[in-house]
Amino acid sequence: SKHATTPADNYYLARRRTLQVVVSSLLTEAGFESAEKAAVETLTEMLQSYISEIGRSAKSYCEHTARTQPTLSDIVVTLVEMGFNVETLPAYAKRSQRMVITAPPVTNQPVTPKALTAGQNKPHPSHIPGHFPEFPDPHTYIKTPTYREPVSDYQVLREKAASQRRDVERALTRFMAKTGETQSLFKDDVSTFPLIAARPFTVPYLTALLPSELEMQQMEETDSSEQDDQTDTENLPLHMSTDDSGPEKENASVLQQNTSLSGSRNGEENVIDNPYLRPVKKPKIRRKK
Amino acid sequence: RMNRKKGDKGFESPRPYKFTTHQVVCINNINFQRKSVVGYVELTIFPTVANLNRIKLNSKQCRIYRVRVNDLEAAFIYNDPTLEVCHHESKQRNLNYFSNAYAAAVSAVDPDAGNGELCIKVPSELWKHVDELKVLKVHINFSLDQPKGGLHFVVPNMEGSMAERGAHVFSCGYQNSTRFWFPCVDSYSELCTWKLEYTVDAAMVAVSNGDLVETVYTHDMRKKTFHYMLTIPTAASNISLAIGPFEILVDPYMHEVTHFCLPQLLPLLKHTTSYLHEVFEFYEEILTCRYPYSCFKTVFIDEAYVEVAAYASMSIFSTNLLHSAMIIDETPLTRRCLAQALAQQFFGCFISRMSWSDEWVLKGISGYIYGLWMKKTFGVNEYRHWIKQELDQIVAYELKTGGVLLHPIFGGGKEKDNPASHLHFSIKHPHTLSWEYYTMFQCKAHLVMRLIENRISMEFMLQVFNKLLSLASTASSQKFQSHMWSQMLVSTSGFLKSISNVSGKDIQPLIKQWVDQSGVVKFYGSFAFNRKRNVLELEIKQDYTSPGTQKYVGPLKVTVQELDGSFNHTLQIEENSLKHDIPCHSKSRRNKKKKIPLMNGEEVDMDLSAMDADSPLLWIRIDPDMSVLRKVEFEQSDFMWQYQLRYERDVVAQEEAILALEKFPTPASRLALTDILEQEQCFYRVRMLACFCLAKIANSMVSTWTGPPAMKSLFTRMFCCKTCPNIVKTNNFMNFQSYFLQKTMPVAMALLRDVHNLCPKEVLMFILDLIKYNDNRKNKFSDNYYRAELIDALANSVTPAVSVNNEVRTLDNLNPDVRLILEEITRFLNMEKLLPSYRHTITVSCLKAIRVLQKNGHVPSDPALFKSYAEYGHFVDVRIAALEAVVDYTK
Repeated sequence: SKHATTPADNYYLARRRTLQVVVSSLLTEAGFESAEKAAVETLTEMLQSYISEIGRSAKSYCEHTARTQPTLSDIVVTLVEMGFNVETLPAYAKRSQRMVITAPPVTNQPVTPKALTAGQNKPHPSHIPGHFPEFPDPHTYIKTPTYREPVSDYQVLREKAASQRRDVERALTRFMAKTGETQSLFKDDVSTFPLIAARPFTVPYLTALLPSELEMQQMEETDSSEQDDQTDTENLPLHMSTDDSGPEKENASVLQQNTSLSGSRNGEENVIDNPYLRPVKKPKIRRKK
Repeated sequence: RMNRKKGDKGFESPRPYKFTTHQVVCINNINFQRKSVVGYVELTIFPTVANLNRIKLNSKQCRIYRVRVNDLEAAFIYNDPTLEVCHHESKQRNLNYFSNAYAAAVSAVDPDAGNGELCIKVPSELWKHVDELKVLKVHINFSLDQPKGGLHFVVPNMEGSMAERGAHVFSCGYQNSTRFWFPCVDSYSELCTWKLEYTVDAAMVAVSNGDLVETVYTHDMRKKTFHYMLTIPTAASNISLAIGPFEILVDPYMHEVTHFCLPQLLPLLKHTTSYLHEVFEFYEEILTCRYPYSCFKTVFIDEAYVEVAAYASMSIFSTNLLHSAMIIDETPLTRRCLAQALAQQFFGCFISRMSWSDEWVLKGISGYIYGLWMKKTFGVNEYRHWIKQELDQIVAYELKTGGVLLHPIFGGGKEKDNPASHLHFSIKHPHTLSWEYYTMFQCKAHLVMRLIENRISMEFMLQVFNKLLSLASTASSQKFQSHMWSQMLVSTSGFLKSISNVSGKDIQPLIKQWVDQSGVVKFYGSFAFNRKRNVLELEIKQDYTSPGTQKYVGPLKVTVQELDGSFNHTLQIEENSLKHDIPCHSKSRRNKKKKIPLMNGEEVDMDLSAMDADSPLLWIRIDPDMSVLRKVEFEQSDFMWQYQLRYERDVVAQEEAILALEKFPTPASRLALTDILEQEQCFYRVRMLACFCLAKIANSMVSTWTGPPAMKSLFTRMFCCKTCPNIVKTNNFMNFQSYFLQKTMPVAMALLRDVHNLCPKEVLMFILDLIKYNDNRKNKFSDNYYRAELIDALANSVTPAVSVNNEVRTLDNLNPDVRLILEEITRFLNMEKLLPSYRHTITVSCLKAIRVLQKNGHVPSDPALFKSYAEYGHFVDVRIAALEAVVDYTK
């Protein structure tokens, strides 16, 4: 009731009220003297659903036969389909004790406010018959290329990335700290530097040793992708000594890492004979002594 | 007394019986829930004397149910005197008394003295049998409940079956401690062949020594039995076991090598072990000898007792050595562990020792060949750096504690022989030693092997090793009862004899100096140049009266770099001569333009303006090859140290020069250090060391320092963007030398202090910016160690808080710089909970930094945080860092 009512609301309310009157009169006809509001509401709801279903179904039948306007036969088929005995309808309509209800006030079907139209709708091309639906509004399919210069200043980008990451991390950790148990470095203050409480693991080495999913993903990416231009040119190439004189050069090739996680080059051969790969034997059947 | 039969040359068993054929160990039930083990052993014993009526074996914490000798029930007594070292009635309560009592208790059960905790009476029915020196079979049923040592159970507290939980158990311990998990003669000198059987849950794997012959299901198909045979005679102390739901990886290069790790870690295992075959190749090549066992197994387990433990044909490693391809720092460390383990397979497992006093030979040889591997793998620089590091360590330890004796001979049993008597432990027995002493013992052993190599050449050295191995190899294939088996045991005398046979050289003086007595040499050197005679007057003094020192008499190499070249001189260090005249080859500065020849043949241009116009001496080095276990304190002028740093090609000399330059805070030192720092050709460890020296010099020169803080412009040039120098480049750690430098420079810079003894604001902001702009998205490697060191840098920047009347630390009076630091630490520590770093390096650094803030009075000193991180269930590195912080409260 608080809501400001729009013409559309009024329209629908009026129809609903008429339905309520119908339900009430049918109840009276059936001999009820009074009914709870909830009961009336429920019956109204059922009636409305029923009528709506007739409409929906009739529309389907009509469209199925390539028409746009439903005919009587569509309604009949619908009613039959819904399990209603159509034969009984004329008699029911003519029953003596029926009550006459005033028609709902004539209000105009509210006009659906036109969606904001942007530009002129495109006319159909010649090969499309005129009865086909119109083109949608241009904004739904027209693309407007922007020619604005992307931010390419390296410093600004790095600054942005850095502060963005910092903000995210800060917000995330603060959220975690707020929602869980915390520890504090200052007895009198738990909110300025909230530390997420240390929680022991059941299997501590797993989290400590396995790369996180993020890192795994990163590793896959860096395997294929190049470093960005700025760093590519700015980073020194891997320094390998070409001159072999002097002991101080010996360490250049230290730690050549095997870069692939799976070092099994020829591990897939079938001929591996290793006692740990052999099948487990069935127990020997002990003979009774 | 025992009427021992003289066996083969050199070795006499202390026992009146020998093992023959093999010993059977059968563990038929392992209960992870109760942490208990049930099994039996069967020892086949061959009496060597008549009248043998008692058999002494080692057994600790095992419950012995039943002993049978040749199927006859036998009486036995079990007594472990180490359980109650000092008896209640004893009144004395001091360390000395305890130490003596403990040594006595350990000796009382020492297998090498024919003793043991378990004494079995041979049933009288068998006495006649024994007198005929016939074989005895001793069958012992035992169980083990909640072992305190020897066997370690790891049982995660969670839902699921034991296999699903990753529960596992493994043998561990210090020296000979196999007696903790089954009765045996727990000695490195008693060899026999083995049959080992373990019945475990069907989802588990039992890894043990020798060849896995077969795996058989039990009748209910719920368990399976692993049958191992070890046909190479092996000491009980080299027997090991690991059981768990391991993932199995057959080495792709060597199919007889199998690797095992805990569930989910297989990708890490693949990467970590992908290098091992190269170590195999290296050792087999230098020793010209095949790996002695028919198979090799590596097992990576949690809660390891030590990072590396070598046993016959298998090694047990800490699971924390595993790493992915993204981790830089752990890679060389892990590879070193693998190489160490493999070296001990040859010397330590295959070749065992006769007695404790021969231990140095095994540790020496395995440490020495491991050193050769280091040299080949990481280069001469890394090798020399390592040797210097080890030398410094042993020197410092011996000077502090009074000495490490490699080959103790306990003639009169006098404690006078014990160089460390005031440390309250006896070196008579491995089990009475301190862990630190034993670590230093191993360090000294390999250094002495290197000294022997210097004396007889590497070629002869390797020939000796090859000889030991081939003798052992022949012996190992002999049948039982063969006295040949003692060829598989190394002794000091046998080793020395072999050296003299192969090389024809007498190394007795060397052995007497470094093996038969303890102590290191302390040299003090200084010099004067006599212009008239063109002679260098070198004075070398020794301190041989302080504890841990000894007098050195013999040759000493001195290298003098002159204008005309580098010259080696061998001085004879004698009792009374302190002064040595060394003639110089070059006149001072005849030709300014000439290039200066260096030791390695290189000729370089030098700016000679700094040197003394009257002298041709550029720098002098005492014992440059580290062929004496010594400490040298040498005095030469600052410009000489600077020349040495710039132009001497030996990394040890460079490092020595850097340390010496700390005492000369001058612009010239600054320049020399900066130049070294910038030189990409220079060894990265030298450059790292230069960073810290530069920081110290800058602090000493603070009032006259010009320009930006030390290293800042250099760091900017090397690691920051050209277009915006305040922003560090996105990480690319492909060049490891640069990577190590990038990590170290901020840590060193944070040690800079201004005139008020505070870390300059500029430096702090610089480090904070490094953290802020750190971007690892495009990097192939993890940046966890880098970020951890940035936190270390933050901690290094902290200076004591200005405190007014001991006011209580609260947020209100928090220093604004500290606020910024705390902000970072909070964020890092919290992010670790969401995206944990490898080995939680960042958590470790954060905890350390928090302790620094507490200690400097910025944050209330409260151990609660550390206590929570010290709890069981945190990663071990984190726990250690937390415990160290807690211990720090006592300081």
